Amino acid sequence: MSIRPCALQNPVFCRLKEIYDNREQEARRLRASGRKVIGLWGADVPEELILAAGMQPIRIYADPGGPMEEADTYLEYAFDPMVRAQFQKVADGSYQELADAIAISNSTDVLIRIYLYLRELNRVEQERGLPPIAFIDWLFTRRRMHQERNELVMKLFWEQVEAWAGHSVSGEAVREAAVICNENRQALRELDALRRGERVHITGSEMLVAIGSGFFMERREHTELLRQLAEEAGQWPQIAGQRVFFTGSMQTDTGLYERIEEQGLVIVGEDHDWGGRSFDRDYNRNYPPLRALVDCYMLREFSSKKAFVSQRVEALERQVKAVKAKGVIFYTNLYEDAASWDYPSQRARLEEQGIETLHCAKMPWPLPKEEEAGLAEQLQQLAGRLEERQSAAKSGEGESCRLSGEGKLAGRLEEGGRGYRCQDNQSQR
Amino acid sequence: MPGQSKSTVVKKLKSTAAASAYQKQWFLGLKERVEAGEDFAYLNADVPMEILRAMDIPFVVNQWWAAICGAKRMATKYYGLLREAGYRDDLCSYCATAFAESLDPDDHRLDQEGKPLGPWGGLPHPTLAITRLTCDCQSKIFELFAKSHGADFYAMENTVARTVPPNWFELAANDWESLYDRDRLDAAVEELKELIGFLEMKTGKLCDRNRLIEVMELINEQERWYKRIRDLIAGTRPAPVTVVDTINAVMQAQWQRGTRWAADHARGLYQEIQAHADKGEGAVPGEKYRLMWIGRGIWHDFGFYQRFEEKYGAVFVWSMYLAMGADAYIRNHVEEDPLRALAARYIGMEDFLHMPPWNSQWYLQQARQNQIDGVVYMVPENCMQAVEGSYFIQRTLEDAGIPVLIFHADPVDARKWNAKTMAGLVEEFIETRVAKARQPEG
Repeated sequence: MSIRPCALQNPVFCRLKEIYDNREQEARRLRASGRKVIGLWGADVPEELILAAGMQPIRIYADPGGPMEEADTYLEYAFDPMVRAQFQKVADGSYQELADAIAISNSTDVLIRIYLYLRELNRVEQERGLPPIAFIDWLFTRRRMHQERNELVMKLFWEQVEAWAGHSVSGEAVREAAVICNENRQALRELDALRRGERVHITGSEMLVAIGSGFFMERREHTELLRQLAEEAGQWPQIAGQRVFFTGSMQTDTGLYERIEEQGLVIVGEDHDWGGRSFDRDYNRNYPPLRALVDCYMLREFSSKKAFVSQRVEALERQVKAVKAKGVIFYTNLYEDAASWDYPSQRARLEEQGIETLHCAKMPWPLPKEEEAGLAEQLQQLAGRLEERQSAAKSGEGESCRLSGEGKLAGRLEEGGRGYRCQDNQSQR
Repeated sequence: MPGQSKSTVVKKLKSTAAASAYQKQWFLGLKERVEAGEDFAYLNADVPMEILRAMDIPFVVNQWWAAICGAKRMATKYYGLLREAGYRDDLCSYCATAFAESLDPDDHRLDQEGKPLGPWGGLPHPTLAITRLTCDCQSKIFELFAKSHGADFYAMENTVARTVPPNWFELAANDWESLYDRDRLDAAVEELKELIGFLEMKTGKLCDRNRLIEVMELINEQERWYKRIRDLIAGTRPAPVTVVDTINAVMQAQWQRGTRWAADHARGLYQEIQAHADKGEGAVPGEKYRLMWIGRGIWHDFGFYQRFEEKYGAVFVWSMYLAMGADAYIRNHVEEDPLRALAARYIGMEDFLHMPPWNSQWYLQQARQNQIDGVVYMVPENCMQAVEGSYFIQRTLEDAGIPVLIFHADPVDARKWNAKTMAGLVEEFIETRVAKARQPEG
């Protein structure tokens, strides 16, 4: 599975993958064409406003494994490794070539700290020449006063975007940009239907490429490619395997998904921001622009970082049901801890539904080679349990089979410090 | 075992002992009120507790209670309970302690000798759990805690400062309209109104504006005493008291703020320290180096602060607990708009401590005022909320010629604490950096 030959031989998919694999090149090309490029850090920066101003949004990301000198100097070790790598790339000046400015949304508390640090770095080390940075102080608690406050927050960001663009941005321009964004989301949903449906025609890895490429290219072209791909991918071979849902850390490349899919698991959905959550809610054109922006970004599906446990339990159950997943993989990077408080309640709810789970917390990023085999074993065991359940369901012996599997799948546990820790839901009983 | 490593603590002041005695008495009274059916709230430290004080709703503050549990060395048991319930046992110790306690079936039981198994007989079951959203984990833990106790959960939002005049400590008491973005204050007032509405509906009690003003004035009275104490210690060598006394005396009374007892206790604390100063009695007569402690208190090993007095004459004279009282709480002219004055107090707590440059500039100003020779800075091991720009703090102080030692430890979880190792770090710091910085050039 993973990315299959049928995808790699498809010119449309290849175009998307070319951009996905060469993100910086595409960002440079866009900037060289004369457009201002805005780096988006955090999943809740309204792209509609950037596009309406005639600028190009790209996502801040980092390749794993690079030097970390700046991050090690300025950040405490409690920052998760992916954010550390992103910070490194901003602080070491890499983004000076790639972006004219950076917009940070408070999609997680870590990014609030990052904003404060960069602001202070700009103050005490002006010679560093960081790109201009703006912060979007969304409030995600769903109360009337917070929705109203968010309109002010959005107004401030709108003014910032105008300042960066050097011209005013009309409400009509935002509406027009929203059409582009909504069409893009719709195209993604149509493609996604090919992996969520009863018959799966596109893998999770392939979908990540389709989604992530859009973060670095012109939206209309992306939408057009997605539409073509949806038509063609519908003819690709059907994928057999155990349906699983992925929840947890953002996956900015396909590495982990490929490892999961290698074990015969089919990722039919996810809730992270480089996946399905990025296109789950449209801009409502019936509302005035400010209200529509707030509606679109405040009321998306609950994120693991900015929602209560009860909200996350409901959200995960809702999403797992929607894609008919039989298993859920909880996977969070080292120091990305908020979701760990959701997990026991989520697991309990899923178990009530007969859903298998695998919990991998404190995972190093990137995953070291020596850890790969252990993870593969856990994934294999999950696949095995799901197959047992499927067989049992077919033979009507569900409960007896479930009991017979008890205790033989002890997950690996490591206390404290580094190293990963995976637990399946049977080993915890 | 590292977890059993602990220093011996010697407290000097009667006021410190009085605060501890009052706390126990107060806690017993609180339990009686809860048992009689009154609503009882569990609050995070940055929740504007003044509202509950004015409404006479009994409450306990999370950080104070975590400190009590830490001092009782409950961590091993509590984190074991978390693990058994499927939670990780290495996260958010400051906030997770009370949730872990709620999983303890022995919390309200007695042992065979009739002694309580839970700290102070265990936390009564709250009917309300209120926190602010100042980190991604906190709201989740409070919600779990509320569910475990069958309490109502309430969360207050947090906003980020856009304008950051570095001299917040000069503006906070009178000029908060210049200190904060106006819209942040507006939003915070709205938050207070919503909280009041929630509490009035839940408890049937009125949030009386006149009573709120009285509470705010009592707090001003109390914090002004802290300001005088801080200034007295800052200007007196040898220092009449160390943090071992001031942290305990102030922290316990701070959570009683808005009461007559707390204001009187602060006055008594000042008078007692003043008497020592008048007689020229230093806490450590051979005081040579004055140390600043940045971070939360090490509740499970309070004697640690005194380990360096005899050998080096190194005295911890400064902690945030007293200095925050002196600089962060006073809000004059409350009667003009008590809710706005309160808003100007509670939204700053997160910013003053955890946001550069507000924290770094304040620490520098305080280090200078208190004639500090070296700073020991504890960065918690598992708390994102307490991540506060340690680089900027260290750089600001060291650029001003004040050496800084950063070390990692947990304020309430003694499992990984080794006092000997940690003391070794501080000793090396004193010998190689603090002493050197004090040597005259040439």
